[in-house]
Amino acid sequence: MFSKFNSIPTHMDYKGQKLAEQIFQGIVLVSAVIGFVYGLIIEQFGWTVYIVLAGFAISCVLTLPPWPMYRRSPLAWQPALPESPVEAAPKPESLKKKKHK
Amino acid sequence: MNTALSRANSLFAFSLSVMAALTFGCFITTAFKDRRVPVNVHVSRVMLKNVDDFTGPRERSDLEYATKSNSLNQVVLWDKIVLRGENPNLVLRDMKSKYFFFDDGNGLRANKNITLTLSWNVVPNAGILPLVSGNGFVSLPFPETYETTKSY
Repeated sequence: MFSKFNSIPTHMDYKGQKLAEQIFQGIVLVSAVIGFVYGLIIEQFGWTVYIVLAGFAISCVLTLPPWPMYRRSPLAWQPALPESPVEAAPKPESLKKKKHK
Repeated sequence: MNTALSRANSLFAFSLSVMAALTFGCFITTAFKDRRVPVNVHVSRVMLKNVDDFTGPRERSDLEYATKSNSLNQVVLWDKIVLRGENPNLVLRDMKSKYFFFDDGNGLRANKNITLTLSWNVVPNAGILPLVSGNGFVSLPFPETYETTKSY
């Protein structure tokens, strides 16, 4: 059952991860401040908890799925080399040359 | 942070830490409030009966009087729960005592000084539980004899 979940791609690139962390920290902190002030005014701590939970839900939606804004600066990988047995032979020869010197 | 699970873990832990800080803030803003209020207590009729105690060992006999063995005793006679939203100004008439006067040494009959006070707990969302005493009380002596049931 879990193989289906594992096959869904959820990666972000490095700058995307940093952006996601800043976004959710900002949203949770702002909702905490708003919730605390509102709870203090109406003297019920339950509303503070509800507002923080709402901030948590919003940041869940914004940062858990890999939105395109988190994939804007991907790493430039080298092109893949074709797999062939010719590649394996030159390597031991170059090592032998260095040892002789 | 490269998988959704790791992001979810980080987000949840951060939210929990923020919630703990907010609870501490709630404690700081509510625990130091002065909650004493003036209280009017009156006694209309005192009737003292000697009742056999079948309920077992009596640890909680704390009525405010002096016996030979204890200098101060207190007993809880009555209580009420007030929920949030109900009128906190209590106006109660003709209340009878809810609990028995447990006595730790037969000191209630002909006792000179019985003091009735009202005190209450305020239950907080976060923090210490204060016991607040009201600013009024009534003091009265108890009758000399027990009431006897008349038999016809």
